[in-house]
Amino acid sequence: MAGAIFLETLRRHWRQMIYWGAGLGLLGFYVLVVIKDVDMLEQYAALAERMPPALLQMLGMGDVTSLATPEGFMSFGFFGYTLLVLAVYAVMAGLNVTANEEEDGILDALLAQPVPRWRVIVEKLLVYVLASAGILAVSFLFMVAGTQFSEIPVSLSRMLEGSINMLPSVWLMIAFTAFAAVVFRRRGTAVMVASVFIVASYFIDFLGEAATGSLADALRAVSFFSYYNPNAVMVSGLDVGSMAPLLAVTAALVAGTLWFFQRRDVGV
Amino acid sequence: MNSVIETRNLTKVYRTGRSETHALDSLDLTVREGEIFGYLGPNGAGKTTTIRLLLDLIRPAAGSARVLGLDVNADSVALRQRVGYLPGELNLWKSLTGLQVVRYLGRVRGMTNLSYAHSLAERLQLDLTKRVRDYSSGNRRKLGLVLALMHKPDVLILDEPTGGLDPLMQQTFNQMMREVRAEGRTVFLSSHVLSEVQAICDRVGILRDGQLKAVETVERMTHVDFRWVNVQLRDPATAALRERVASIAGVTSVEAENHGLKLRLHGDFDPLLRALNDVYVVDVRVESPSLEEIFLAFYGNNGAVPQQAARAKEAV
Repeated sequence: MAGAIFLETLRRHWRQMIYWGAGLGLLGFYVLVVIKDVDMLEQYAALAERMPPALLQMLGMGDVTSLATPEGFMSFGFFGYTLLVLAVYAVMAGLNVTANEEEDGILDALLAQPVPRWRVIVEKLLVYVLASAGILAVSFLFMVAGTQFSEIPVSLSRMLEGSINMLPSVWLMIAFTAFAAVVFRRRGTAVMVASVFIVASYFIDFLGEAATGSLADALRAVSFFSYYNPNAVMVSGLDVGSMAPLLAVTAALVAGTLWFFQRRDVGV
Repeated sequence: MNSVIETRNLTKVYRTGRSETHALDSLDLTVREGEIFGYLGPNGAGKTTTIRLLLDLIRPAAGSARVLGLDVNADSVALRQRVGYLPGELNLWKSLTGLQVVRYLGRVRGMTNLSYAHSLAERLQLDLTKRVRDYSSGNRRKLGLVLALMHKPDVLILDEPTGGLDPLMQQTFNQMMREVRAEGRTVFLSSHVLSEVQAICDRVGILRDGQLKAVETVERMTHVDFRWVNVQLRDPATAALRERVASIAGVTSVEAENHGLKLRLHGDFDPLLRALNDVYVVDVRVESPSLEEIFLAFYGNNGAVPQQAARAKEAV
């Protein structure tokens, strides 16, 4: 029956979604309430201006002047780091698509049922697509609560856009891990490949931004972090042009996952 | 009688780096409708590989397989609707209860009525409220049987089905398989335990090193006229006694050790008992030949049919 795998995976996963959302939300809540007033933000910005540019890039503070604004500070204090935290979730979710059950020998029991292989992938991926959106929705609710106790006027709509802006990158990381898992078959190998992909993307992005004209700068286009610019979103709103390439690559990775999984042996 | 499982030149090669392992070599196999077919062979012979190919979990290097007239690859979904499968190593979601697993896989199958699954569990004395992680290996096997049987499949494909089941449950399992056969359904079960196959199978296929060596009726396959006899004596076994026993027609491979005699006996017991009439016998134990011994007796060391066995086969 269509949807059975989706519903069962969701049933087993929704608590995890709440925990991740609450964890991230508490971080956002803390960042919002810890700042007493706008003057404090200006002091932070002044302090940041004295730091080396490369270090600022590494810390996600490309535009120091925006740090003095509530939205810019939220970008630095929350949205800049959250994607790295969510990378852990994305890798775990990507492994859950096939690798964990395959390595544990459980996939045999599922694939012995009258269900095509592509449906296993699609229904599970859908759960993690929704769950990652759910995590960000829960964390957004915590931030909404944080604004009630915050002394700085942060735009709720910008924070919502900042949250939405994370989704294509998270989905891409999930799809990449799922793809690595069906290609390399082993959980450990898939984790290693996905981790290298994420960490390398992060370093290529910040090194490229710090050293204009360098090789790293030329490679920035292949780093998904370069399409994730929380500061720009918090200041100017969502940029569909930056999100579209990530979504396109995600779709290609899902297609590749389906293609490989359909053609290979299972559980060998 | 229609063939339910049919493989032609089915070949599977596993590649690891530059090395190749031929797990299955040009398998031509036919299983008929309504029979219990035993797929017999030592560990590593290719039994599980065959079963996984039939279920489209792995893909062949060459050849084809059809089950219920459906191609195992092209029509795999339609086929699995009509097949019940018990893997050799059944792994399930440890945090779920048996009932949750039954419900989940039942939903995947589109089943709405699970009353038959409950009656199977009751018959197998399986508590479905326990979590999978709390099941013993035997209970996990029972859950696997419930999952394989609950949709009343036309074909049952069972990989080493009775491993971990206690003797009482093995009897229940045998009875269930006979009922399946009586309903005209087909059972294909792999095993390396001869007695399991003897108890319920109609025909047996013997697999060795990825090659199907023979397909025989159970009677013919197991009618190997020897057994191992262990005689426990009160007094030490003397060389003279050993010589006397070894000289009996039909007795071979006599070993004497302390108070024991171990021998291979072909034919009747009476000459042996008469030869032992002047010694005090404490115990006599008779062991059936192992699968490998039967194989060797019937097909010779290299798997070729020896003349004697060939004559026997022709006569049956």
